[in-house]
Amino acid sequence: MKGFWAIYKRELFALFVTPLAWVLITAFLVVQGIHFAILVTQFAGPSDLTEGGPIPAFFGKTMLLYLPLLFVCPLLTMRLFAEERRSGTIEALLTAPVGTSGVVLAKYAAALTTFVVMWAPTALYIVLLARTGDVDWRSVGASYLGIFGLGAGYLALGTMSSAMTTSQLAAAMLSAMMLLVIFTVGLGEFAFEDGPARALCAYISPWGQMGDFSAGIVDLRRLVFDATLVAVPLFTTVRTVDAWRWG
Amino acid sequence: MIEVSHLSKSYGVFQGGRGVGGAQKAVDDISFRVDKGEIVGFLGPNGAGKSTTLRILAGFLGASSGSVRIAGYDIAEEPQEARARIGYMPELSPLYPEMRSGEYLAFRAELKLIPRKKRRDAVAKALAQARIEDVEQVMIGHLSKGYRQRVGLADALLGSPPLLILDEPTAGLDPNQIREVRELIRSLGRDHTVFLSTHILPEVEATCGRALVIAEGRLVAEGSIEALRALRRTSGVTLHVRGESKAIVAVATNLAGVQRASAAPAPGGLVALTVDFAEANGSAETTEALVAALVQAGVGVREVSARGASLEQVFTELTNGEKRDPVADAERA
Repeated sequence: MKGFWAIYKRELFALFVTPLAWVLITAFLVVQGIHFAILVTQFAGPSDLTEGGPIPAFFGKTMLLYLPLLFVCPLLTMRLFAEERRSGTIEALLTAPVGTSGVVLAKYAAALTTFVVMWAPTALYIVLLARTGDVDWRSVGASYLGIFGLGAGYLALGTMSSAMTTSQLAAAMLSAMMLLVIFTVGLGEFAFEDGPARALCAYISPWGQMGDFSAGIVDLRRLVFDATLVAVPLFTTVRTVDAWRWG
Repeated sequence: MIEVSHLSKSYGVFQGGRGVGGAQKAVDDISFRVDKGEIVGFLGPNGAGKSTTLRILAGFLGASSGSVRIAGYDIAEEPQEARARIGYMPELSPLYPEMRSGEYLAFRAELKLIPRKKRRDAVAKALAQARIEDVEQVMIGHLSKGYRQRVGLADALLGSPPLLILDEPTAGLDPNQIREVRELIRSLGRDHTVFLSTHILPEVEATCGRALVIAEGRLVAEGSIEALRALRRTSGVTLHVRGESKAIVAVATNLAGVQRASAAPAPGGLVALTVDFAEANGSAETTEALVAALVQAGVGVREVSARGASLEQVFTELTNGEKRDPVADAERA
């Protein structure tokens, strides 16, 4: 893990002195702001969406939560390795006395930190809701936990994609495709009859996960799935980076 | 400091390389050692395998077979121990354009595990050694190529590692900067072991005590700088003379030690006389005798210039036929 902090700091620096992180965060917050405004307007009027209130609706019921994640996560991670390999700076990085796992984890942690920073302003929505009505804090906490779990897995897949190609565009498209597959398979929950196929689809469905968590139900099985989605791609990334040496 | 034994590297079939299917090796069974305190040049034409070898020594690439030990640590078995003792400057020294030079060096110092308290001093020292204090606050993306190259050099110098591996340290510099960098490398030789690659023969002569020559992935010669110089001795001269060209050629051709002479008209009513010597090593004496003979024959000699063997000729000579015995080469010198 030598070198973790140095690389972590540099990755955050690189993300935030270049426009990429700012553009992504701004775009994301614009979409979520609209999303929130629509929901609040709905709930303020005579509505049939009253079940659970605005927080489960925001975190668990609309496409506007998932669609931005499918684009934002790949864009956040695409440059992590691809850019360094394209420009050659990876050579200086990997000849420093640091371990591969330190490099991979530091880069991943920087992307995850940016993801958290990106979500942080949405806490204001909760503050707004708390001032005008009752807020179920358990479901707020569970919702953010669920989002963190989803993002952690998505970013790990993105990190892996970035290590697999020298083109940032290809890295972004590869991880977006993987996320889309997961999302689409998750929709199988609504397509299949009861049975193992449906159970499997429901298990990996991000929609299902956020449905549970936004209602305040923290399902350990979901978290195990998320942790797997972090560990396997990151392990693969370490092996991929090591494999460059022997290519 | 460096011990390389039977090092080979072949790239994967689809990653190119020479020959059909990339079957040929980029580095083919190289063995050598570099002792502490030496400055050794690693010489070869472009594509000879210099960068590949240096990348393996620096721990960026793995070897297909053979072993590399840096300061006693095997680069594959104990990579972090070995890498901690190397200051490596990659070819073209790629850097992060969005960082300032000072920030970059501070980042590298932390990455190289220099203790927090010593980092500031280490960065200041490296900036001073590479003579780039004036651009400490400038973004790397805004620096000229020469400055970027020197930031890369400063990076390699951070923390005074015992071994410096420099891949074409003077590429992209102007003549003044080249002279500065060569002086710097010579002065570094007092405290460091330096292993540098180049495709410029005079560069090795100017900085190194010993040289290894690589061509097509194989080590073709190893020896002192004098041995290399011998390979480069003049193979002939070109003279600008005043007189009748047939007579001039006759004088030159009749001289012992001259293999061939030819004349061509040159500007200003002069004759350009091109003379090839029979034996490269006797060039100085033959040149003297030639000029004397010409003057005696009443020919006005305006200009004499030596035609040194180009690097290509040296490489051709080295790579033609059998592989030379490095020891014999050194002794012959």
